[in-house]
Amino acid sequence: QTILWFPRSFEYSQKNAVLLPVAALGVGGILVYWLRSRHKIKTIEMGDGWWGSGERPLKGKEDESIRPFKIETSDQEIEDLHRRLERARYAQPLEGAAFDYGFNSNYLQKVVAYWRNQFDWRKQVEVLNKYPHFHTTIEGIDIHFIHVKPSYVPHGRAVQPLLMVHGWPGSFYEFYKIIPLLTEPARHGLNEGDVVFEVICPSIPGYGFSEAPHQKGFDTIATARIFHKLMNRLGFKEYYVQGGDWGSRITTNMSQMLPQSVKGLHLNVVFLGSPNLRQMLSVMIGAYVPWLVGFTREDVQRMYPFMQKNIYNVLQESGYLHIQATKPDTAGCGLNDSPVGLAAYILEKFSTWTDKSFLHKNDGGLESKYTLDELLTNVMIYWVTASIVSSMRYYKENLSKDPALSLDARIGVHVPTGIAAFPQEILHTPHVWAKKIFSNIVTFSYMPRGGHFAAFEEPRLLAEDIIHFVRKVEKL
Amino acid sequence: DFCSSPAGIMLLEVFLVLGTVIIYFLLSRKKEETFLPLKEGWWGKGQRDTEEDTTIRPFKVETTEEELSDLFRRLDQARFTEPLENSCFHYGTNSKYLRKVVSYWKNQFNWKKQVEVLNKYPQFKTKIQGIDVHFVHVKPPRLPEGQSAKPLLMVHGWPGSFYEFYKIIPLLTDPASHGLSDEHIFEVICPSIPGYGFSEAPHKKGFDSVSAASVFYELMLRLGFKEFYTQGGDCGWLICTNLAQIAPSHVKGLHLNLALVTKMGFIHLLSILLGRYLPGLFGFQDEDVRRMFPFLKKGLYKMLLESGYAHIQATKPDTVGCGLNDSPVGLAAYILEKFSTWTDLEFRDLEDGGLER
Repeated sequence: QTILWFPRSFEYSQKNAVLLPVAALGVGGILVYWLRSRHKIKTIEMGDGWWGSGERPLKGKEDESIRPFKIETSDQEIEDLHRRLERARYAQPLEGAAFDYGFNSNYLQKVVAYWRNQFDWRKQVEVLNKYPHFHTTIEGIDIHFIHVKPSYVPHGRAVQPLLMVHGWPGSFYEFYKIIPLLTEPARHGLNEGDVVFEVICPSIPGYGFSEAPHQKGFDTIATARIFHKLMNRLGFKEYYVQGGDWGSRITTNMSQMLPQSVKGLHLNVVFLGSPNLRQMLSVMIGAYVPWLVGFTREDVQRMYPFMQKNIYNVLQESGYLHIQATKPDTAGCGLNDSPVGLAAYILEKFSTWTDKSFLHKNDGGLESKYTLDELLTNVMIYWVTASIVSSMRYYKENLSKDPALSLDARIGVHVPTGIAAFPQEILHTPHVWAKKIFSNIVTFSYMPRGGHFAAFEEPRLLAEDIIHFVRKVEKL
Repeated sequence: DFCSSPAGIMLLEVFLVLGTVIIYFLLSRKKEETFLPLKEGWWGKGQRDTEEDTTIRPFKVETTEEELSDLFRRLDQARFTEPLENSCFHYGTNSKYLRKVVSYWKNQFNWKKQVEVLNKYPQFKTKIQGIDVHFVHVKPPRLPEGQSAKPLLMVHGWPGSFYEFYKIIPLLTDPASHGLSDEHIFEVICPSIPGYGFSEAPHKKGFDSVSAASVFYELMLRLGFKEFYTQGGDCGWLICTNLAQIAPSHVKGLHLNLALVTKMGFIHLLSILLGRYLPGLFGFQDEDVRRMFPFLKKGLYKMLLESGYAHIQATKPDTVGCGLNDSPVGLAAYILEKFSTWTDLEFRDLEDGGLER
């Protein structure tokens, strides 16, 4: 419907006959310019970085080779671990404390007994090596990743490249159960093979087998850039990205940095940055008339009682975040030296972040959702690579600046986005709030069960949602 | 005119009544409880004993070859993480400096000698409310004619201990020998807070500063003191304050080197916002203004940067302490960071955290 700028009338003077079209052109021009500038997507600048030791070498090109890698262990490594486990010193828990004061040391002793006597690290290393591992140097540091291609692709089907990024205190290992569901979905009864992936799971620099940055300032934006370079080096121009925890923020930054390369962004956790007045108001109003502020019944169930679920809970559970964002070297020092301390620290999260009610169980409910073998394998990755301190530094590098001032807070996300909201996730983000940042939400799913470590705990549910999301994007 | 009309008089009466009611209400609110109720607890294992052993038993710190060799083994196999370039103490204890400390610890530090140092003051243990409470009790070596020693309870904090007072004790029990006036001479009692050092840890949940105050109150009574002075800093300040609130008739004086605002009222908030510009209005001295403002930088950010340990210890103590109990190097890093940063915040810019100054 066009606006009639000049109603036809025969009573126009000669002057008007010139002025009005000129004014129309002027206004029209402004309108067109305004419409176009709205659609011009703002992106995060890519920039560049150097994270190796000392000064960046002026001459010479970076070694861009992709080197196959196999995880190894030795008798010495295993014996050293066993000695430390045998000599562990424990403090008695308070009577009736369950997991209220942190990891219950009575249960910890049972875990350590299993770790010392039944856990077989050599066997787990073989499990880890079942997918192909590689190293490549980017911006001065060695980046580790696994790259799994489907063994069989039906004729004519496209294979979608998918980058999946872990968080803390997880690792690339969290994806081991979901990878076969994505590379061979038909075999696992997920679909007829219309959507098949090749999966790349890197380790964030400073985590596991990726070298830790030697310079200060390594944040999610630097990580996003490095992972783009990685995908580029592997020959991919367009790809899907998926993440939770830090992986969510990294993949979001990737979408803001190079939207033309990100075919779709799938998240199982959404970080919103600092709350604004509008959100706070909608929380208050939403308690009584949720439909008025766009909350669904599911939203209401997950968000209220607000103070308790969002404020008290977060305060109760964010001590680790506070100390890691301020004194990571202090917090991690003892954990790098005591495997028992490391296990308590990491496994506490696997308990509480999987299901909040696990706080009241004497064994933290750990073995109801995971096996000790898989939990300890994840802990071992931090132990054998001595990466707990560098993994904690990531919090300080990302959280010490004022969040409102960070680049990514002011830039929206415009690539097709899929969000899977798991019920036991620490914080629930309603669709209506996510829409403020993610302008192109293609799917938003309320998952029936599961917590923070979605890929680890509910691989099938997550895989189904990823496939559902990609199917929708591909049809568009 | 309005004031003398019947309506005016009635209005005046209403205001007077209202005014009186409000004033009375305000005055009656100001009258607070004069003391905190004594919190009797039981912190031992399992069920409460019927008979409590109230004897005071002398105690000596001891060590064994086994304890020492276990320590050396752990120090030998310590695993360190390289610090980031140019990070000094901003990310926490710098591990390059920590290596030097650990090397000294292994090769020059003599624990047996230090145990003798610790044992130079008489120490005791006694069971109170189900747990063994450890304390140091130092009497003055000599008293001038006609003078009596004033009992002084000194309470440590975290991550300190009774040992923090070893240098100050002689200055209080024997001031004359140290060039101080002997107008007041003290006999000093330094207990270890239950759960710290040689005092048994409570086995039940809920042992807070008021509980500690009630334990120390019983201790002073058991030692035969009807009136005493009390001194505290760090967590000690809260325990001593609670002691003064529980038993004001027994506490002759309360000395604090730390005091925190526990309830933030509207006036406090106003004073933070406006105190820089109108210090006189809120009762701030020049020194106050110099230390407190700019508030965000000196107050809020500083507090956020330094309170990570408090946040995690207030929520998941068993998790955070687990590794520290098992790794002496981790324990040292955690504790020494506080001795650096809490002595002087500028020490964060130093490679060695200014510890040996």
